[in-house]
Amino acid sequence: MRRFFQRYTLHGVMVLPLFLYLLAFTGLPLLSCLMLSFTDAVSRVFPSWNNYLALFRLGQFRVALWNTLWLTGVGVSLEVLAGLGVALVLHRVVLGRTVVRTIVLTPLGVPTIVTGVMFMYLFGSTGYTNELLYRLGVLDTPVDWLMGDWRTFGVLLLAELWKVTPVVTLIMLAGLESIPESALEAAAVDGAGGWSRFWYVTLPLLRPALTMAVVIRAIDAFRIFELPLMLTGKNLPVLGTFAYSEYYDYNNPFTSAAAASLLLVIIALGIGGYLLVMVRRQEEIA
Amino acid sequence: MTARELWWYGGGLLAVVYTLVPLYLLFKISVSPPTEALTPHPSFGLHTLTGEHWRLLLTSGTLWPPLGKSVAVALWTMLGAVGIATPAAYVLARLPQTWKYGCILALFASRMVPEVGIALPVAVQFLRWGLVDTQLGLVLAHLVKVLPLVAWILVGTFETIPVELEEAAQVDGCHRLAVLRRVVFPLAAPGVAVAALFAWLESWNEFTYALYLSLTENTLPLQTYYYVTRGSWFDAATYAIFLTVPVLVVTAGLQRYLKAGYLAGAVKG
Repeated sequence: MRRFFQRYTLHGVMVLPLFLYLLAFTGLPLLSCLMLSFTDAVSRVFPSWNNYLALFRLGQFRVALWNTLWLTGVGVSLEVLAGLGVALVLHRVVLGRTVVRTIVLTPLGVPTIVTGVMFMYLFGSTGYTNELLYRLGVLDTPVDWLMGDWRTFGVLLLAELWKVTPVVTLIMLAGLESIPESALEAAAVDGAGGWSRFWYVTLPLLRPALTMAVVIRAIDAFRIFELPLMLTGKNLPVLGTFAYSEYYDYNNPFTSAAAASLLLVIIALGIGGYLLVMVRRQEEIA
Repeated sequence: MTARELWWYGGGLLAVVYTLVPLYLLFKISVSPPTEALTPHPSFGLHTLTGEHWRLLLTSGTLWPPLGKSVAVALWTMLGAVGIATPAAYVLARLPQTWKYGCILALFASRMVPEVGIALPVAVQFLRWGLVDTQLGLVLAHLVKVLPLVAWILVGTFETIPVELEEAAQVDGCHRLAVLRRVVFPLAAPGVAVAALFAWLESWNEFTYALYLSLTENTLPLQTYYYVTRGSWFDAATYAIFLTVPVLVVTAGLQRYLKAGYLAGAVKG
């Protein structure tokens, strides 16, 4: 026993700070967030469901919940499609590949908050989209893109697409490069055309990369915060901005904690469920 | 050129244009007079250029306090993250496979947690402790986000250093601490540098924790957001560019190391 301690004391001392830190500043806050969410705002009774009941009575919260789910579902699908498309282009295009690659990956080096600024210029009421549509003769009166209807939803999707597609592109490029040339050649020899080579060879071999892209993107998409806060504010709330405004504008940490806790549960269930389905499907194929 | 190739080039062109147009507009607004940008019919080209917004950025005095705070917080976060995560990552890298993957998974999971859930209790607690609006408070919060990432990158670095090297040094009579200091850490230095740059970037960009933990002392991203909420297009543009340029430079330098995994939790809307 003594020898064991002598041997591993150094290692223990080296690891401890990291885990203590994460315990103190991630573990404890999470616990305290959950406890807050189950504490009655008035009587301070614990445990109580009142915060959650109050949340579901709030129209704004239900809207935020649906917006988050829709944004994640539609957004992640679009981003994966776009990222795959761009990666395929980079894989095929010979002329000027480095230039194209550098340009399409630039959004990685642009802070999200700045993405918000740029899309405000594009979709503000005196923005450039309105002006372009006016000059093309499509519009006479400017459209208010950010008032919270389906168009606002579209603007958010476009802004997110701009910012995060490069991440998917990187994942897909790595996936494409791992596909052996010989597999595609063999398919070509057997008479497969371009489309069926893509559908029956490339796409199945890209499955691990696709799974990874969906998981990585979905985790972040559920937590979307800066873009809706900047572009749409309360016109189009999501769970993140809703939780923030409950705390900041209404000084109600209890409902804010409940909304944040629900967001955590949604992320865990969403990612866990997706991975479970993918593993099961993989087993069926194998 | 065949029809199919044309489609590929067309797709590439679309992606390039979609990426560049917002960036161009940001630049254009930062050098346009109000008569060209904040009107019902803004112009698309660069007609009259003005350096007025840039002059205002540098001389109005609103830039320096947030810049100072951002720089200091990012530096301390970087140092803190490297100091805490480097030794830990070394040990994790030397653990048996299953333990190692368990720990990495735990680190990854801690990056999946919604910030609004952590920032809320942290903000409530820091208000009591008087840590709101301080650099220390924000560094402590940024470490929550940065530590798992840095540890993760460094585990990968230490894995590439063969154990045999350490054993050889020990056979030659080197003490265990001296092995770390003279053999392992020098070999890991490039990886540590990359991890440090990622840490700096994450802290410089960070918005959510800063929003919860600042009342009067803004960071640069908060200052940009402040101008957006006030509707000052030109200030927002100059601040946004000022915020972006260092990020672009560092990201370009890191391009070789940009693995999609590292970006999980870092690139979100």
